[in-house]
Amino acid sequence: MKVEFKVNGKMHSVNVEPGEFLLETLRNLGYKSVKHGCDTASCGACSVQLDGKPVLSCRTFTATVNGHEIKTVEGFSKEGELSNIQRALVEEGAVQCGFCIPGLVVTADALLRENPSPTEDEIKGYLNGNLCRCTGYESQTRAILKVAKDSRGEKS
Amino acid sequence: MNVREERSVATSLSSDKNFDVVNTSVEKIDGYALVKGKPVFTDDFDVPDSLIVKILRSPHAHAIVKNVDASKALELSGVACVLTYKDVPRIAFTRAGQGYPEPSPYDTFVLDKKVRYVGDAVAIVAAESEEIARKALKLIKVEYDVLDNIIDYEHAMDENAPIIHDESEISGAYDPKHNIASHYEMHFGDVDEELSKCDVTTEKTFYTPNQSHAMMEPHAAISYFDANGRLTIITSTQVPYHVRRIIKRIFGVESRVIKPRIGGGFGGKQAVHVEAYVTAVTLKTGRPARCIYTRKETMTASNTRHAMRFKIRVGADKDANLRVIDMQGLSNTGAYGEHALTTFMVAGSKTLPLYNKVNAVRFMGDIVYTNTESAGAFRGYGAPQGAFALDCALDELAHKLGMDPVEFKLKNSIREGETSPVFKVMGEGREGVEQIVGSCKIEECAIEGAKLFNWHEKRERQRIEGTKAHGYGVAFAMQGSSIPAIDMGGATIKMNDDGTFNLMIGATDLGTGSDTILAQIAAEALHTSVGKFVVYSSDTDVTPFDKGAYASSTTYVSGNATKRAAERMAREILKAASEITGESVEKLHLENGKVISKSGKSLTYSEIQTQLFYTFKQRQLEVTESFVSEVSPPPYMVTFAEIEIDLETGKVDVMSMLNYVDCGTPINPLLARGQVEGASSQGIGMALYEEHIFDKNGRMVTDDFFTYKVPSRDDIKKITVKFADSYEPTGPFGAKSVSEIGLDTPGPVIANAIFDAVGIRVNRLPIKSEDLYFKLNERGLTP
Amino acid sequence: MLSIKEYLRPDTLEEAYDLGKMENTLYVSGGLMIASLKSSRLERLVDLKNLGMEEIEDGKRVKIGANVKLSEFMTNPLLSSLNHGFFKKTMKDVGSTQIRNMATVGGSVAFRLGWSDVITALMASKATVELYEGQLNEVSLERYVKEKRRKEIVTAIYIPKNDRFLAFEKFSKSTFDIAMLNVGVGMNIRDDKMSDVTVVVGSRPMISGRIVEVEKFLNDKELSNSIEAAAQLMRDTIKVGGDVRVKAEYRKVLSAALLKKAMRGIGDES
Ligand SMILES: Cc1cc2nc3c(=O)[nH]c(=O)nc-3n(C[C@H](O)[C@H](O)[C@H](O)COP(=O)(O)OP(=O)(O)OC[C@H]3O[C@@H](n4cnc5c(N)ncnc54)[C@H](O)[C@@H]3O)c2cc1C
Repeated sequence: MKVEFKVNGKMHSVNVEPGEFLLETLRNLGYKSVKHGCDTASCGACSVQLDGKPVLSCRTFTATVNGHEIKTVEGFSKEGELSNIQRALVEEGAVQCGFCIPGLVVTADALLRENPSPTEDEIKGYLNGNLCRCTGYESQTRAILKVAKDSRGEKS
Repeated sequence: MNVREERSVATSLSSDKNFDVVNTSVEKIDGYALVKGKPVFTDDFDVPDSLIVKILRSPHAHAIVKNVDASKALELSGVACVLTYKDVPRIAFTRAGQGYPEPSPYDTFVLDKKVRYVGDAVAIVAAESEEIARKALKLIKVEYDVLDNIIDYEHAMDENAPIIHDESEISGAYDPKHNIASHYEMHFGDVDEELSKCDVTTEKTFYTPNQSHAMMEPHAAISYFDANGRLTIITSTQVPYHVRRIIKRIFGVESRVIKPRIGGGFGGKQAVHVEAYVTAVTLKTGRPARCIYTRKETMTASNTRHAMRFKIRVGADKDANLRVIDMQGLSNTGAYGEHALTTFMVAGSKTLPLYNKVNAVRFMGDIVYTNTESAGAFRGYGAPQGAFALDCALDELAHKLGMDPVEFKLKNSIREGETSPVFKVMGEGREGVEQIVGSCKIEECAIEGAKLFNWHEKRERQRIEGTKAHGYGVAFAMQGSSIPAIDMGGATIKMNDDGTFNLMIGATDLGTGSDTILAQIAAEALHTSVGKFVVYSSDTDVTPFDKGAYASSTTYVSGNATKRAAERMAREILKAASEITGESVEKLHLENGKVISKSGKSLTYSEIQTQLFYTFKQRQLEVTESFVSEVSPPPYMVTFAEIEIDLETGKVDVMSMLNYVDCGTPINPLLARGQVEGASSQGIGMALYEEHIFDKNGRMVTDDFFTYKVPSRDDIKKITVKFADSYEPTGPFGAKSVSEIGLDTPGPVIANAIFDAVGIRVNRLPIKSEDLYFKLNERGLTP
Repeated sequence: MLSIKEYLRPDTLEEAYDLGKMENTLYVSGGLMIASLKSSRLERLVDLKNLGMEEIEDGKRVKIGANVKLSEFMTNPLLSSLNHGFFKKTMKDVGSTQIRNMATVGGSVAFRLGWSDVITALMASKATVELYEGQLNEVSLERYVKEKRRKEIVTAIYIPKNDRFLAFEKFSKSTFDIAMLNVGVGMNIRDDKMSDVTVVVGSRPMISGRIVEVEKFLNDKELSNSIEAAAQLMRDTIKVGGDVRVKAEYRKVLSAALLKKAMRGIGDES
């Protein structure tokens, strides 16, 4: 079936199988940042924004995104410049193997739009579906707190 | 407070160690690519015309494959081949990625006519698409002769237990007729006699569980013939050189192994998993082959931590001198003996030397086969298992002596300038090496740690209030840095005319940041910045040999190799500058990417190499150095933790954890801290959440992230990391290892804190709320 | 990829209901559970998203369309303020941000998951379910989860608008995990005296249901001094089972413990 949708502002018109998932479609289109980490909606590595909200692309039927807008981490670094979240993650040593990072960035971005000044608990709660096995999460929390502080103009 | 500030105090103390690049938290050099989501992982590489490879796996824990009928599958359009044991070489090998000859038994075949656990490979299917491959799997008819099985490793040596390895080709296993893959024993002094002389003793049995690595990226490999017909394998591995060697052993074929970025390993990728399957397909069909494991395959058919049982006896005199340690163990290696002997030995060799003042030690036991997923290397590599038994037993002994466990453990632990006979007796798979401890700041870790944690004040507090109990625990740990006299790493540095260097290393960055810290080491020695280094790592055709990423060796071994190479490059640069300027080498020094002479002249590295390329004594500056260590300097750590128990349910939460670490000079404090934080949370997972549950047929029920719970973000409350001011004389710029040690303490520190809170000595991980609740209930502690 | 033949997106309830009656066909809303179905017989999915059912309507009771996402309970001003902010607090324990952005109320109710937190919480609030079965019907959630129906479409749920205090407690191994057991409690409370009490236990592992003995016991009693006795009664009367995750005996313990926590929570709040 034919489906049309935007990814990071770019229009795509693709023929997909009826049972195809957005994760597969996006990876086939070259958006390799979207990761396949588990098969049970349990790791968050495949997270993308659908109309601005983080969802799991592994459980989203491509058939349903017709006319919608998707954002992946490829859409975050404009002209090679990192977004604030990306920059903070690197600066705080929050990127170890990096496999969970694309999903984390798109989810954290939504968090900060919904709640520009989250507490540590709010950060952990909102991102609880984004597993990371490397960092123990601490550095990632520090990074997001830092972005929030910086955006309020406070010194970290 | 950020890491840089935290360190600045300690750094200023080490006045003789003024570093420019080392001991600073430079950004990870692959960080930009990773946060941008660049296609850098194995599954991200599109190799045109690839066949998709899937593995047909056994539903039985133990069975003979009587017949495989693939005719229906082969009729399916788009199926390229179905390979069974008849189609692959019958060469016994071990999947373990270890130095050669491996201390693990050769007891594995790519495919065998016997399957030994639920998930064992039966056939390899290659097809034009994932869907066709899946369909083909369903069309293969296998006739099994189902055999009795052993799931519980405590019954592996029972009389009449089925024999798991009865094949004639097996070699290196200790007593396969009795399911014993390996056996080890050592002692010095007489433990029984010594125990009889002790004023206080403790005897207990402790259990640690299987644990899944649960790295976020599943196992993956792609193989193809390059334009010149060279077999190339792109694989998510920690051991590219060992993979190349093992593939040659099995198939007799030379290959190039490339490790791209890998999505975590933790020891799980220190083995040949997928590579043999894709290679078999590429060799058979001539076509590229791609195999990406599902999460379920990664959970059930790769590796797990060795579950171990230790019966431990310890004793001390009334003055609190620890006199004797006796550990009798049993380890579950699962269906194959990967890392069987060595992980078991490490349970002793990376714990016992910490308490070097004892008169007698015994450490012995069997490593047994069972019909479960093969165990393998996993961060800590036996040490967390040994530490759980030893540290908890010492905690209990301290309690019996009426002594603060910090004081008791510290009093009896090793110091700088001392040694332990265990170093010499126990190595990995063979004898170890004698060593004097050159750096050990365990006193700082314990004393300063206790202050920071408020240990003494906290222990005065009321433990039980209403429906909650609070407890405070401490655990001590050591690890090693490399496998001495065995593991070698090489580094090549090439200077370019634009003033940059290529650093080529076999070392395998699995997310740890080793590419970055090795560049820091090279930059320090060459008096330039990390930005001047373009690092290529882990490509067997391009980079020098390196044993791979394991045994806490990369910083130490590959770091020393890199430092040597950089120092030699520095000499080459000085020599060339001397030739160009006519000034003697003694009058020249390196500074900020330049050679400066006493007379005030300066030449940039770029100017030097440009002249050497085009106009003057033309040559390429390039050096290669290798390093094998004679010693394995242990890092040390003292961990303090506060836990809360919900007395109504038995649920345990780790409220805060402080790790005070002596890892020598942290080459990159931020990345080192990340290693400890990550290891701690994996240890918390092992202690509280992660559990393999099997059904009665030996199938793992907890075979995905929905049922196998690694700690999620909200589960990890607060982990603090401090580094002691330490300098290891044999390490690169004073560094020791830091990546594994963090996993050694969470188990014992949580168990000790539970004891502190409610007086219950937990002896089995994971600590299940259910079990703890009923124990609390027995003691009348539930409200 | 699911190997299905058709993914249909009807525009009207009638059409969807007709399509739903075909062999080997299932409805799909959020798709979270559907996507994990391994059934090789499944041929057709009937997507309900084009049917609207996204309304959140205030009135004597609050109507929540079946396609409303669970995340709306936390962000919609009306839903998040109901019953003293009960749903906002409770939904935090359900899945993850991503899951709440995808899972629908309709799918959560219709799937009748034994371990559903959503059903337990809604049942404690005495929600009712509106269904389309050729015509619109309404049944209580309790009845709905007990009865077997065929191909009904959940179109909305109704939450009575009142001042009852509600509390939800979930016990799981990790914080991103399904419940080993969950408890929902609701009541009116005046001068410490309880009335109109609902006590619901889910993931026993059977589907959520009301524990009438405990409800009866609590009605007209004073909250602060009936917690212990209620917990004891809960433990003695509740029917639970064991599974690979939890033994039955421990589920009993949890039912009592979570009831106490829920009641204490209400006590503190009211
Ligand atoms: C990883 C994970 C964790 C979760 N954790 C929790 C948790 O902690 N607590 C909790 O309560 N839940 C949890 N859930 C379940 C989740 O909240 C939803 O209940 C579930 O996803 C169903 O919602 P859906 O809209 O996705 O339904 P779908 O997957 O679309 O459908 C589910 C079923 O309902 C049918 N159906 C869907 N809509 C309708 C309708 N309107 N009328 C009739 N039938 C319909 C479908 O045919 C299907 O059989 C979890 C789910 C996952 C995947």
